[in-house]
Amino acid sequence: MTNNFSLLIPEFLVTGLAFLILSLDLFISEKRKNHLVWVGVIGLFGILIITLLIFSNGILYQGLLVFDDYTNLFRIFFLIAGIIVLISSNEFVKSNIKYQGEFYGILIFTILAAMLLASSSELLTAYISLELLSFGLYVLVSFDRYNLKSNESGVKYVLLGAFSSALILYGISNIYGVLGTTRFDEISLMLVSINDLNPFLILGFIFLFAGLAFKLSAVPFHMWAPDVYEGSPLPITAWLSVGSKVATIALVLRLFCESLLEIGNEWQLIIIVLSVATMLIGNLGALVQTNIKRLLAFSSVGHMGYILMGISALISINEDGSISTGMTTLVLNGIIFYVIAYAITNFAAFTSVIAVYNHTAKDSISDFAGLSKRAPFLSLVLVCSMFSLAGLPVFAGFTSKFYLFNAVASQDLLWLVGIGIVTSLISLYYYLMIARQMYIEEGIDLSSINISLSIKLVLGVLLVGMIVGGIFPSPLMDLIELASEALIS
Amino acid sequence: MDLFQINNLIWMLPLICVFAFLSIGLFSKFLPSEGAIISIFSIGFAFILFIFVLIDFISGDLAAIHSSFTWIDLGEWTISWGLLIDRISIVMIGLITFVAFLVQIYSVGYMKGDSRFGWYFAVHSLFASAMMLLVLSDNLLLLYFAWELVGLGSYLLIGFWYEKTSAAEAAKKAFVTTRIGDVGLLIGIIILFKATGTFHISSIIHAAQEGGISNEVIFWSSFLIFLGAMGKSAQFPLHVWLPDAMEGPTPVSALIHAATMVAAGIYLVGRMFPLFELGPGILVIISIVGIVTFILAGAIALVMTDIKRVLAYSTISHLGLMMLSLGSFGVPAAFFHLVLHGFSKALLFLGAGSVMHGMHDQTEVELMGGLRKKMPITSLTFLVGSLSLAGIVPLSGFFSKDEILISIWEYNSWFLPITLFGVFLSSLYMIRLYCLIFLSTARSEYAEKAHESPRTMTYPLIILSILALFSGLLAFPFPFTGWEGFAAFIDDHHKFHMIPWLTVVSILVAFSGAFLGWVIYGSRRIVINNISSPLKFLYRLVFRKFLFDEIYSWIANKIVFTFSRWITIFDRVIVNDTGIDGVGNSTKKSADILKYFQSGYLYNYSLVMVVGLFLMAIAWWLVE
Repeated sequence: MTNNFSLLIPEFLVTGLAFLILSLDLFISEKRKNHLVWVGVIGLFGILIITLLIFSNGILYQGLLVFDDYTNLFRIFFLIAGIIVLISSNEFVKSNIKYQGEFYGILIFTILAAMLLASSSELLTAYISLELLSFGLYVLVSFDRYNLKSNESGVKYVLLGAFSSALILYGISNIYGVLGTTRFDEISLMLVSINDLNPFLILGFIFLFAGLAFKLSAVPFHMWAPDVYEGSPLPITAWLSVGSKVATIALVLRLFCESLLEIGNEWQLIIIVLSVATMLIGNLGALVQTNIKRLLAFSSVGHMGYILMGISALISINEDGSISTGMTTLVLNGIIFYVIAYAITNFAAFTSVIAVYNHTAKDSISDFAGLSKRAPFLSLVLVCSMFSLAGLPVFAGFTSKFYLFNAVASQDLLWLVGIGIVTSLISLYYYLMIARQMYIEEGIDLSSINISLSIKLVLGVLLVGMIVGGIFPSPLMDLIELASEALIS
Repeated sequence: MDLFQINNLIWMLPLICVFAFLSIGLFSKFLPSEGAIISIFSIGFAFILFIFVLIDFISGDLAAIHSSFTWIDLGEWTISWGLLIDRISIVMIGLITFVAFLVQIYSVGYMKGDSRFGWYFAVHSLFASAMMLLVLSDNLLLLYFAWELVGLGSYLLIGFWYEKTSAAEAAKKAFVTTRIGDVGLLIGIIILFKATGTFHISSIIHAAQEGGISNEVIFWSSFLIFLGAMGKSAQFPLHVWLPDAMEGPTPVSALIHAATMVAAGIYLVGRMFPLFELGPGILVIISIVGIVTFILAGAIALVMTDIKRVLAYSTISHLGLMMLSLGSFGVPAAFFHLVLHGFSKALLFLGAGSVMHGMHDQTEVELMGGLRKKMPITSLTFLVGSLSLAGIVPLSGFFSKDEILISIWEYNSWFLPITLFGVFLSSLYMIRLYCLIFLSTARSEYAEKAHESPRTMTYPLIILSILALFSGLLAFPFPFTGWEGFAAFIDDHHKFHMIPWLTVVSILVAFSGAFLGWVIYGSRRIVINNISSPLKFLYRLVFRKFLFDEIYSWIANKIVFTFSRWITIFDRVIVNDTGIDGVGNSTKKSADILKYFQSGYLYNYSLVMVVGLFLMAIAWWLVE
């Protein structure tokens, strides 16, 4: 069987772009390195267009990598997300980071890893992609070399990350030991054919889930998140909260839908417990934060809880103990929609926070007092993103939450939805607290904050995205439905 | 999907004004003339779009134009939003875009130099788009949303000069009073949703006509929806907010509190009429509320001495007449009167604004007089508006009033004598108002120094007075054009017809009212005190507006507030301290406890992870 390598063109191009930036960094003068970010942005934009043009489906390496509508949706997502992160990090990097070329080069490698995660349909390939992502992030988290907190968070992330990688690898080896395969479709076939689950197989899945839960920062594997988020350079915090999370979710969804639906009765309760703990602790933890980065860290933990809730509802168990997958597509649509809405909103929030930080170099919540007078447009975007994160109407956060909760409720998990709604209510408190700081509290510093045109543009696009996603989501939903059908069939 | 099909283009109608609202609201400081130009252009664009839609609508044999999109598709049920152009919504859109366009042009002159000039136009745009959304919406949920948004626009504009206590109070009063109706509307919508499982107006009406809804449900839901209409359209006893709403800038009164928003209640009843028809006795209630409003407000208008308040009570009175017409199966007549009254009343309010502009914001008619020479254009156009509203033949108000009288005679003949008395009152107070302002001699220094207004203000007056003069002709069928009269345009079953004796009676009644007005206030052959002193008690009762405000504040102070005080104690001690604060505090406490786990030490974190791993394993074995 010959491999059609043209399927991998976007990945090759992203790799090339990363090397291009790394090598340009060696040759150009210190002054011109400010322009490296635009090389990345334009490069990614070109790759995005090429990806859209060569849209084709297929598999590579005997099924190690699968390219279907699902892969393509996430590829496009990561390319756009990459462009947003690059633009929003531009000014921050100029003033805070010493080695710009390496920063952007490694960042682009993590985009590559995220794209690969969406297409890998075999455990070891997935593991390697996940490590590529993590290694990039380990470096990026500690990139602010002269900042003690950045170093600390880098060490924490690397050690705990290694721990979780070990868990994943041990889990994979157990699964391989019992089933003799690591391909998703073959795992599914094997699980149907064997009646009793071997204890080692169960142990293998638990280790795998625990390792993935670490990457998703699900409770109780979430404790690294606030510390690492706080210490990282701000654009990397944004990328951690969106890029790495969405990449892991892309993998988890494919793993669960392609190989684990048949044994849904085995794992459903565990995921439910994880999701309840994550929703509760994420949202409660955010209540007492005084630093915006830590607050957003806990908030993203809470959002992972809602996504886990969706994952647990991928199947429903009938009265006679059999598993029904009639509603799986609907729930899957809900999860993907939620993820995209979360990503848009979180980017909007982080991009505004970065813009404020560039001016004030402060990141505690009380520093946002009186922001509405200093930067009206920025405050508008930030407050809209807070409303959207809290799930208030007209914004994408509301519509996606409504869709996901409805889908979960249709799987007979109404009580779980109840917990979701209560925790959303709790989250309203801390999101509105930020809004209150910006619009009601009087600030000490009254100087107006200037924002560069590129940031304004990004913020405007994200604001429009939040509103259009809330009011008129059907074009997006069409794409999402295509993607989830590719996964379920 | 072809985006530029006409049925998708109708989304542009509300959206263009939303765009104007957002761009002025956000960037008014950076825009030329603080963004007023954007607002006027967008409403003008909406008017042009209306003409295109109208042409398309007529060439499509008056078939409804519908455009809807799926908001979300949840498998079992789908939520979609849609806009609908049909015979009544196109009439409303025409009225809204046209009057709003003129009023905004007029406002440029009127509001010149105001410190919140840009914000004024932003809210105008918001209002216009909400109003268009209200009449276009094909489902009750979107309609309710627009209904509240319109209320918000009205609130912001009544309280536009919120530095003035009276303006802030008036805005609050309007908001609270209409809210009573709005709650009724919301409950009515929910009852209908429970009964039919849909918010779509056409599906609800279809279900009702098929007998899918019980009579009781129809009665209560129609009654509650009518309560909403009473609030917005200022029907007795929920009318008290409208006279106070005159605290807002005068162009606002012309647009919102005369021509468009207050007509929303009429529109709602007309839109839901097939449902109301089926409810036992509901039309009788509507007729009674309508006629009581018509007569009482007309009587109050007769004794008010504030130019804007006379017009406000006159508006209430005419809205009552429209309700009465709806209650008498006269839907086309009600909409015809709605449109023609909209033109005339907008004209009168703008004229009043022009008078106030020349009189340094004096509104007391006792201080005016003799303005005919000093403000010739205003005087002439005001006369046209007054005669039209008085129902003098052949001005437009005559024709619509005649159609209403025909409906009343055919379905509610008992009400006809009282209605004719109301017609007499309305011509009497209109002529009185005109005579007091423009005839005889100046009664104050302000009136002596009065001057004509600038062109941006007088041109809209001229355009509106041309309409007030001639638009009544639309009642007649035009041979060779396919136009079979306004009534047939709204409803095929209503053919144009006249009842000659009734027309003669109505002409006589209107003329005698006008003549009496001229005799008393114009030529002063009869001295007013000779009439009013024997009727002193009645006069004072009417002058104090039948004591509605006093009764309401007595109820609010003595009953509601006493009750509230008891509730407050219950609320503070039980609901707040143990319920809300209790939950809040325990949530915060648990968050505080969680903080201790976040120690920052790596070995703690990994320990928690290991414990979590074990718990997961145990959970799995428990499931086995």
